[in-house]
Amino acid sequence: MAGAIIENMSTRKLCIVGGILLVLQVIAFLVGGLIAPSPTTAVPYMSVKCIDVRKNHHKTKWLMPWGTNHCKKLRDFDEAVSRQIEANDIVFAVHIPLPSKEMSPWFQFMLFIMQLDIAFKMDNDLKENAEITLDVSLAYRDDMFDDWEEIAHAIEIRKLKCTFGSPKTVESEGRHYDCDFLPFMEIGSVAHKYYLINIRLPVNDRKGINVGIGEIKDIRLVGIHQNGGFTKVWFAMKTFLTPSILIIMVWYWRRITLMTRAPVLLEKVIFALGISMTFINIPVEWFSIGFDWTWMLLFGDIRQGIFYAMLLSFWIIFCGEHMMDQNERNRLSGYWKQVGPIAVGSFCLFVFDMCERGVQLKNPFYSIWTTEVGTELAMAFIIVAGICLCLYFLFLCFMVFQVFRNISGKQSSLPAMSKARRLHYEGLIFRFKFMMLITLACAAMTVIFFIVSQVTEGHWKWGDITIQVNSAFFTGIYGMWNLYVFALMFLYAPSHKNYGEDQSNGDLGVNSGEELQLTTTITHVDGPTEVYKLARKEAQE
Amino acid sequence: MDPYLGIFFLTPFFQSCYAWSVNNFLMTGPKAYLIYSSSVAAGAQSGIEECKFQFAWDRWNCPERALQLSSHSGLRSANRETAFVHAISSAGVMYTLTRNCSLGDFDNCGCDDSRNGQLGGQGWLWGGCSDNVGFGEAISKQFVDALETGQDARAAMNLHNNEAGRKAVKGTMKRTCKCHGVSGSCTTQTCWLQLPEFREVGTYLKERYHKALKVDLLQGAGNSAASRGAIAETFSSISKKELVHLEDSPDYCLENKTLGLLGTEGRECLKRGKALSKWEKRSCRRLCGDCGLAVEERRAEMVSSCNCKFHWCCAVRCEQCRKRVTKYFCVRKEKRERSGGGGASRKLKRKL
Repeated sequence: MAGAIIENMSTRKLCIVGGILLVLQVIAFLVGGLIAPSPTTAVPYMSVKCIDVRKNHHKTKWLMPWGTNHCKKLRDFDEAVSRQIEANDIVFAVHIPLPSKEMSPWFQFMLFIMQLDIAFKMDNDLKENAEITLDVSLAYRDDMFDDWEEIAHAIEIRKLKCTFGSPKTVESEGRHYDCDFLPFMEIGSVAHKYYLINIRLPVNDRKGINVGIGEIKDIRLVGIHQNGGFTKVWFAMKTFLTPSILIIMVWYWRRITLMTRAPVLLEKVIFALGISMTFINIPVEWFSIGFDWTWMLLFGDIRQGIFYAMLLSFWIIFCGEHMMDQNERNRLSGYWKQVGPIAVGSFCLFVFDMCERGVQLKNPFYSIWTTEVGTELAMAFIIVAGICLCLYFLFLCFMVFQVFRNISGKQSSLPAMSKARRLHYEGLIFRFKFMMLITLACAAMTVIFFIVSQVTEGHWKWGDITIQVNSAFFTGIYGMWNLYVFALMFLYAPSHKNYGEDQSNGDLGVNSGEELQLTTTITHVDGPTEVYKLARKEAQE
Repeated sequence: MDPYLGIFFLTPFFQSCYAWSVNNFLMTGPKAYLIYSSSVAAGAQSGIEECKFQFAWDRWNCPERALQLSSHSGLRSANRETAFVHAISSAGVMYTLTRNCSLGDFDNCGCDDSRNGQLGGQGWLWGGCSDNVGFGEAISKQFVDALETGQDARAAMNLHNNEAGRKAVKGTMKRTCKCHGVSGSCTTQTCWLQLPEFREVGTYLKERYHKALKVDLLQGAGNSAASRGAIAETFSSISKKELVHLEDSPDYCLENKTLGLLGTEGRECLKRGKALSKWEKRSCRRLCGDCGLAVEERRAEMVSSCNCKFHWCCAVRCEQCRKRVTKYFCVRKEKRERSGGGGASRKLKRKL
């Protein structure tokens, strides 16, 4: 029968295709595991306590922690007490990166978290639900001798969540609280070589600003950025994958347009999946090397979101189109119940992302989680998205169950059917089972590798060879879903193998006529008209 | 910073810098190491301060005399306390170096291109640098271990304990992770090791001190190659986390001029505190009672600042308060009886 290519392929050829894909998959893992370094690096920074010696602090002045123009430093705050320096005159300065290094656009993004070392003191205890007010500013320069240019300045409030392990007695004075780290800053591009962060903790007794936050000993920052090596490997992979998916997509669509009938829903959905995959693949990130596009991070999120939504919709529609019941589907509107949650969920996540990363385009120090309302809003969006996802999976599981029930029903009546019908159903069953198998395999691989990469320490060592598990996870899984889409478009493209055979085997004309009838509509063969037609044809025979 | 310690650490280092130039991975020449010397000295100092804190209520209270990590005389002790001093000092050096790395004090923390630089040679750009703690460990090793010039059992013990100190810093480090995937999900997460408070290292080593292993190697230990092999073999079979000592500790109750021990007479101890730990509560019995000394109660009036209005830094307004405090000290029994006529001490007697 003239179904998809997968049915008409010999087992040998199918094995060859499978083998090639498997080899490519292994290569994808190895590229990440052996060539690429770990995806990200965390660099700990300890802020230097500078003294702002000027009388009024209205005009911004940048204080450098080290280097030729470094500020007047304080070693610790006991020194400040003896020298009668006030809290308002102290600036915490962090230079990014550390000496004799420079940042690079290959780092793609930078995010910083902040850790406060707060010492316990009997008479200067940390208040319940204390809030810390930070006056932060960020500057850049591209040359060691240039002046600093301001990027952003903001006054941010962060909630302190600290616990104290020891009993609160005189003996444990000086021990540090155990504080959760605070989100500090996120920038979506690293276009400059040097960055400088100046943090002030202004005190105002009257307004209650920075009162009751304990005795701060140190401010530590941890800067996380993508490794340049990983970015390069990632870009290379994207640049290689884009044309491969693009070519198979064009080939697939040509196959469909060659046919006399209009494309059915399933074929359109597979094509749409190819488009969304290409959308992710297109390496627009190359531009981030030359341009200061801070929105790249957000754009990447959106692209991924579109692909996930497409993939989830595809699974639903694939199941629906293999239902083998009497219902006429073949329309997207027939799936509103299942696709609806996907749309709602994706939209929620989109809004959430816009609230977080979208606002960060304007103010890199912003975080939705720092305010009460923001946290509730964010949680609301995430919960709604989570409910939608659960709903979706319930629908999907139910549909898969239905398909299997129908399959077992059909299989018992298969021997009694005419050859054409039997072939048609066998084809449908085979296609569905094959699809189920590889989808489950891919999903399981993703989950397993995700867990492995979360649990393990980042790299495994075998003798001299170091395997970067996290990088292998990223390249491997990314490669896997690309191969999945590739295989889907290749194997589920309509086959025209039998058309040629039909012309040579004239005596099978009646049967092939039936087949044509069956293939034009994958879904509604069982309709009364079809049964009637088939019955008539059999009678003619 | 204690100048004595600084000199102490630096003299042997200058002496032996020629030996290091063979395998130093950072730079060549003694000048390069000068950058680290102040951090090393500060680190050793912080180690000693921690030692004093941890042993404040023990019979041996980490006296200055104990800080001579490596003396060239044959009088070096090799007991449990020596083990602790070595461990906490090398831990302090490693800790301070690691911390100062993050401050930007050094030019090349963790970025020796040997590990990450296999591709392109630009380690930082390609794969980031290795942990600062690795750097701290290496430099601490270079400095502290170089003080050990001998090859006998004592030297092996000191080197082992130095290593145990460094392992303690690594062992108490906390792994922290941050998720930063799509929409802040955990598809991507980055983890790093975070230096603990130095107090935690001290507490950890104090536990190790109580469980320290004794190795019997002093009998008949010559400087022959065979005995050296035996020493190396013995120490390599012991976990690097364990503290090791060769001798039993002397009686710290008594004053011993030859060993430079002061005894516990005149020491302060704790009693009847609200929230004292078991160890602290028993300190009077340990320091005084078990050493054949009596406890004397002394009352004093202390002037301290109180009702302070604090900011996060730099206290501003305080009041002066007078507070009556009771302190306990160990005194010799006959001495107390000799002065037994006073009413105060009779009252004291009843209390005891």
